[in-house]
Amino acid sequence: MRTYLIRRILLMIPVVLGVTVVVFLIIHLAPGDPVLLLVGERAPQEVYDRVKHAWGLDRPLLTQYLTFLGNILRGNFGMSIQMRRPVAELLARAIPVTLELGFSAMALAVVMGVVAGVISAVRSGSVADQATMVGALLGVSVPGFWLGQLLIVLFAIKLQWVPVSGYGGIRFLILPALAMGFADAAVTARTTRSTMLDVIKQDFVRTARAKGLSERVVIYKHALRNAMLPVVTLIGLDLGYLLGGTVVMEEVFSRPGMGRLMIQAILSRDYPVVQGCLLILAVSVALCNLLADIAYVFLDPRIRLQ
Amino acid sequence: MSKRKTRHLVLAAVVVAALLVLTLSAGCANKQAAGPGSEKPRKGGNLTIGVDRETDTFDLYQMTWSAGQAYVYDTLVTRDWNYKYAPGLAESWESSPDGKTWTFHLKKGVKWHDGTPFTSQDVKKHFEVMLDPKTAAANVLDYTWIKSMETPDDQTIVFKLASPFPNLLFKLCQSYGAIQSPAAYAKYGPNGTKEYGTKIAVGTGPMKLKEWIPGDRIVLERNPEYNWGAPWLSNRGPFYLNTLTYRVIPDSATRVAELETGNVQVLLDVPVEHYDRVSKMPNVQVIKQPAFGLGYLAFGTANKPFNDPRVREAINLAIDREALAKSVFFNLVQPAYGYLPPGLAESYEDKNAMRYDVEAAKKLLAQAGYPKGFKTTLATQNRTEHVRAAQAIQQMLEAIGVKADIVQYDEAGYKSFLKSGKQQLFMRQYSWDNADILQWFLESRQAPYPGHSLWKDKKTDELIAAAEGATTPELRTQKYIELEKYLIEQAVWAPLWYPMSIQAVRTDLVGGYRPYPGGGDVFNDVWLKKDIK
Repeated sequence: MRTYLIRRILLMIPVVLGVTVVVFLIIHLAPGDPVLLLVGERAPQEVYDRVKHAWGLDRPLLTQYLTFLGNILRGNFGMSIQMRRPVAELLARAIPVTLELGFSAMALAVVMGVVAGVISAVRSGSVADQATMVGALLGVSVPGFWLGQLLIVLFAIKLQWVPVSGYGGIRFLILPALAMGFADAAVTARTTRSTMLDVIKQDFVRTARAKGLSERVVIYKHALRNAMLPVVTLIGLDLGYLLGGTVVMEEVFSRPGMGRLMIQAILSRDYPVVQGCLLILAVSVALCNLLADIAYVFLDPRIRLQ
Repeated sequence: MSKRKTRHLVLAAVVVAALLVLTLSAGCANKQAAGPGSEKPRKGGNLTIGVDRETDTFDLYQMTWSAGQAYVYDTLVTRDWNYKYAPGLAESWESSPDGKTWTFHLKKGVKWHDGTPFTSQDVKKHFEVMLDPKTAAANVLDYTWIKSMETPDDQTIVFKLASPFPNLLFKLCQSYGAIQSPAAYAKYGPNGTKEYGTKIAVGTGPMKLKEWIPGDRIVLERNPEYNWGAPWLSNRGPFYLNTLTYRVIPDSATRVAELETGNVQVLLDVPVEHYDRVSKMPNVQVIKQPAFGLGYLAFGTANKPFNDPRVREAINLAIDREALAKSVFFNLVQPAYGYLPPGLAESYEDKNAMRYDVEAAKKLLAQAGYPKGFKTTLATQNRTEHVRAAQAIQQMLEAIGVKADIVQYDEAGYKSFLKSGKQQLFMRQYSWDNADILQWFLESRQAPYPGHSLWKDKKTDELIAAAEGATTPELRTQKYIELEKYLIEQAVWAPLWYPMSIQAVRTDLVGGYRPYPGGGDVFNDVWLKKDIK
């Protein structure tokens, strides 16, 4: 187990390194010049040159990359060109905002999805089942930003239960988490339903019923536990999707998180910020994959690590 | 249900009545600026303005996008409600007959936010730092007219010029032309802790920079010491508001929704597509007025076939500006027939030269050697209205055989593209309230950037030099009008529309807000009718 872990962690290094190279090249080769945006239209050429030099952007790309890499290894993410603050400071502020939304959306998606999936599986064919599946279809099809605006109109403007946008507490989280979690809940519901339907038909469920256990215990203790495996896999895979979803939701609900930071940075060719954000993302995705692999071992003892 | 309806009716009636009172009182042109009714200003509270993007920095040397600087910093000269030059930090000023010496007399008792007294040495030092190449100030070119400065006493600053410069007062009114504390800049600037402009800003203005959460909000708080406001303000003392918050809300629909719920009380820039929704909201006053600016179709005049004035003129004649204003902007802009917005003294229009005349356009193209038209590209930034305008123009140009492929760029990509000098047709919009914008974009030495039109022309340069070096503002105006006539004759641009400023204010929450020319904002006189959570 230990050697496996060490090997996996060592393997992460080339992956992350590869990501930095790709990211660095893409953002630097994209048309657009951060210095032009920084100094504005009214700056003379001398000012432009001086600023470009000050940021080291007049040096060869390879030198710039190696400097960036060297700084990262020393834990220095550099300074934002456009926002004139240390990238680490910007990230430290933005990451919690994004995690808060990502995790609450995920929690909402799991609860809504699993409950809806179980209900429609147990009452397969009933009106409740059909209604849930229509809802799930809607959830998958409706674009998040549009759903977000609908929720704003209903809950923030008409009913005035929650604020329209911003962040700072659970009141601000409800709408974006709903808008983001809805699509995910829909997918979870459909998966839960189909695996539940499979599991319910299996012998051990019949045995449980034959033992005289109550229907509730049969469904929740025996069937659901076994049906959860693919759902857990799905949730793991969804992490990346959720981070992508926050990009849209942070824009609609004006939350100053990683997604917003990244978009702003990409639009203004703020290289250090884009690099910092993507590095964090790459590392966290790699870590999540590792955690998922480890989790399998605990969930299913039949899986062995070599 | 019916109760609610009646309430709406009553509200509507109240709003109509309030608007009537407002228009009537505005018609009387009285000096009392307290807004509708005779309510007394109330102290306290936080007012929130919804903006689509935040400023880049409060460091005046590096700033390129202003939002809030006007309240943190004071300028030597201000502009009053009629856009006339008026005292600011300078109580009065005079210039020598040759126009090369300008003396400004500063107000007494003015203090920096850190409590130290504001003196003429500060002004001198401020501009010295700005002009120092090491500072790499973004707006340095606006102040290169300063040859030297003298400070005979603490309250007097003398600017010595190499040659007369009639536009000097304008430059001293700019938000980036305000005065920031040289002492604070030395301590916290690039040679100090590097916090100046993002965490620390020291000015003499009625508000102090309290907090800036990047991407979220900028909070300014009242400077209780303030009592040196410009004479045209009703409230020359500290703000009535405790705090003024600029909240960044990038999504326009969300911004409008925040206004509707009252969490945001003022929008300084209502998007055209939401105009109807906002104007139907109860308790919201929509202020629509001409902005200083111009949307235009520009040519890479050094590139074929746009180096031929006949081609440029043909394209000018092929565009139906009225239709464009109506279909793309729902008439929330004015069709443009000149190079400068109508609010400026230098504005000059020629409706005949830019009439809609497809036949004449075709003839000109034939004369230029393109009887069947030609293929070209039409570049634009990916701003919704610009893309839609480009699509409308694409159709109009097809009528004269010009087939233009639309190419879209984001802001950064567009700037680099224009700097490359490969542009053919491209959409542009400027927001500026001075005729020197023509110098900025069309003087030969400005090509290719920011002179994206690639216009290199001796006569243009001569006329600009004559205007900018004129001894009197009147002569400057005259020279600029001469220049515009020449530019129209050469069809250097195809002017399209004059933008409008659309602001929205919650009248049930905000008192004392008064429209400022060109869509600017003045919150010194503004107060909140009740506290907002």
